[in-house]
Amino acid sequence: MSAILTAEQLSRVLPVDPPVTLVDNADLTIETGCFTAIVGPSGCGKSSLLYLLGLIDRPTGGRLLLEGEELTSLSGDERARIRLEHFGFVFQFHFLLPEFNALENVMLPIRRLGRLDKAGAEARARQLLGNMGLGDKAEKSPDKLSGGERQRVAIARALANDPQIILGDEPTGNLDSANSARVVDLFRQLAHEQGRAVVCVTHDLAIADVADVRVTMLDGRITDVRHQT
Amino acid sequence: MNGRLALLFHIASKHLLVRRRQTLVAVSGVAVGVGFFLAVSALMVGSQADFVKTLIDAAPHIIVYDELRSPPPQPGVRSFPGGAVALRGYKVRNEVRGIRDWPAIVRTIDAIPGAIGSPSLSGAVTLRMGGRDEPLGVIGIDPTIETRVSTIADKLRKGHLSDLEQVQGGVIIGEEMAMRLGLGMGDVVGATSAGGATRSLRIVGLVKKGQIQLGQTSGYMLLREAQSLLNRPYIINRIGIHLADPYSAEEVAHRLETRYSYKAESWHERSADFLGLLVTRNAIMYTVVSAILLVASFGIYTAVSNSVADKRRDIAILRSMGFSQGDLQLVFVMEGLALAFTGILVGWMLGFLLMNILGSLDFPIGGENQKFPIDRSFRQYLIAAASSLLAGVVASWLPARKSARVDPVDILRGAA
Repeated sequence: MSAILTAEQLSRVLPVDPPVTLVDNADLTIETGCFTAIVGPSGCGKSSLLYLLGLIDRPTGGRLLLEGEELTSLSGDERARIRLEHFGFVFQFHFLLPEFNALENVMLPIRRLGRLDKAGAEARARQLLGNMGLGDKAEKSPDKLSGGERQRVAIARALANDPQIILGDEPTGNLDSANSARVVDLFRQLAHEQGRAVVCVTHDLAIADVADVRVTMLDGRITDVRHQT
Repeated sequence: MNGRLALLFHIASKHLLVRRRQTLVAVSGVAVGVGFFLAVSALMVGSQADFVKTLIDAAPHIIVYDELRSPPPQPGVRSFPGGAVALRGYKVRNEVRGIRDWPAIVRTIDAIPGAIGSPSLSGAVTLRMGGRDEPLGVIGIDPTIETRVSTIADKLRKGHLSDLEQVQGGVIIGEEMAMRLGLGMGDVVGATSAGGATRSLRIVGLVKKGQIQLGQTSGYMLLREAQSLLNRPYIINRIGIHLADPYSAEEVAHRLETRYSYKAESWHERSADFLGLLVTRNAIMYTVVSAILLVASFGIYTAVSNSVADKRRDIAILRSMGFSQGDLQLVFVMEGLALAFTGILVGWMLGFLLMNILGSLDFPIGGENQKFPIDRSFRQYLIAAASSLLAGVVASWLPARKSARVDPVDILRGAA
């Protein structure tokens, strides 16, 4: 286990009148091979922190380092490139593109990265879907899949470019308990067996209980970081 | 890089295929715009070319006359240029009418690329037939050169210009005058010149009536024979000039006049009013046509703009995946370009069809079946394509910029 992503005094203030502080001087270290859960009541800033960590949003203060490299001052295109290579997102809603079938959805980030040709991208996408137990559903369009299947396609898509960091924003929020448990198992595997850093924002205490690190937030501040065994 | 563009185009095409009806509307907008542009401009350009042919090419582009616009400077003035000397009341020497040293002038003209000079002699004769006299302005020409300088050869009802060379004393006159004198092809008529010389002339051709540029009181003869009839051997008093580019006539005429001081009249000078007409016509055409293309690009704007608005969620998802703002703008610009390209292709076919329909219509004017003059040059297709493509780029780029302003955080949070 080693630190991969480090937040130092990370802040996000909405420039409205009066200013709203979403994230307040957060210090956090994300480690590889570790399943981190961020918990807290609604509106405590846990999703905002996740978007800052995932380079979807820009901080208004503090620093963010990926493997010791400063990310805060990068341009939009450079941030997009890092998202493409190093991050995989899973949201509460599957967020699959409706015009593309499951396979094409998984292929999108692979083709954008451009390291594999089209055939290679397809082979990798099929393999990822196979790993998710969806080998026979590759050609189905998202609206022909069940909620659990869609979320697993979304996870396959998050893993498309073999990122070191997986970020989940309430990834089980829309799933029944069986599917939910399956997703949580997957996330733990990704951390423990594949050595990725997995960060999940959740209000589901069952997830928080099985996480290696449990980060608690309140009113934009990190109030507690507890390592669990 | 190519993989990236292919991928972005793949996304763009999916968006268009999903919104089939809007795509269809936008494409037909461009297609109708391009199609009608082609039809209208083919007619306008075609009719302009026809105008130019009828009114400009009918007569030589430039005519050099044996006249001077101002009298030649007197030796006294030439000796003291700019001096405070004014000479008055001196006697001017009589000069023989006609263009002096005309072979040199013709050589100068022929040295201009694409230009041909046709020397001719005109004078007045009287035709006599029975008890009737008809005045005729004869023009002595060299038929082989004259056919290249004016369109007179196309205006003949009967006979050929070259027949002048075959027949001794051959003359071509207007069909109306022939009718008045009761003459037909091959008939012989007596002609008397102002100098008193008389010849028998044989009708070898008739000029159609109703030609603006060719008077019914003109007749054509061989230059040699006209010189002999008018008793002015080796003299010519007009040089008609045909240019490769009729629009350079004014400048060429000016040059010739400065050099030889004979009056050189370009068609610009002869028909300045007509030129103004062409400018107005072109202004009208390009205004109408730009309006058509502009309206067509509104369809693209709406389609792309709606696509951006509809796909805000997809924009956010793609951004979170690692697509850049530039990628997404390109997706939407590609959508607009795809619409424009498809529209242009369909529009080309529509335009081609419309041109064929217009070109196949015929209507009688003055007893002759006429067709619309249609300009089918590929240039019009290129202009239509280039301008709708330009309009399409602007119409898709404007709304595509909005895609960059979509904040993924708002969408991802809002949906969650």
